[in-house]
Amino acid sequence: MEKVIVMLRKAPYGSVYSAEAFRTIMGIAVFEMDICVALIDDGVYVLVKDQNPEKLDMKPLGDGFLMLKDFNVNRFVVHGESLFERGLQADDLVLDAEIVDNETFTKIISDYGRVLPF
Amino acid sequence: MLFTINDSSITSNSLASLLRIIPAGDPILFYEDGVYNAMPGARDAQNVIDAMVRNPIYALDADVEARGIKKIITGINVINYDGFVGLVENHEVIPWL
Repeated sequence: MEKVIVMLRKAPYGSVYSAEAFRTIMGIAVFEMDICVALIDDGVYVLVKDQNPEKLDMKPLGDGFLMLKDFNVNRFVVHGESLFERGLQADDLVLDAEIVDNETFTKIISDYGRVLPF
Repeated sequence: MLFTINDSSITSNSLASLLRIIPAGDPILFYEDGVYNAMPGARDAQNVIDAMVRNPIYALDADVEARGIKKIITGINVINYDGFVGLVENHEVIPWL
């Protein structure tokens, strides 16, 4: 099975990057690929619980990522240092992600080999 | 003057840059991704707390709610769009992009 990492480094709403990452994941999920969603830097903000962008006239992106499990996208990797330096913990996130150190993050990127950066 | 910040201090140096030169008493508004700077426990939260001794800080509610931010550093005023307009009416605006 083809393996790919979709890597998010930007916060939601402030730019289109993370929304486009979501659209890309939905698009490639139908091809039964082994998809890993990796979040690092401001990308970790994408999974924060209780997002409500109603006043921005946008849809909550975190809820969208939670829904990806229904499309067999089951692996979510969060760069721990990025999460913790933002004052966040695992239970601030919408789903159970693997929270990993630098070395593990590096290894996962190497193992997958193919990265779609957002 | 009203200084506005629209990105996160961990990704951008705009907050650190602004805090070096902002005149005492002038307000700062966090909006868009700038509202992440209002979160307690974040790496640069103490710099924000220290800044409030000299400068009032505001955060835009629509952007705070959008991003799921439930805890805000004590002392930061969360304002709505009407409050934003009120600040703009009373100050020359300097977007610190």
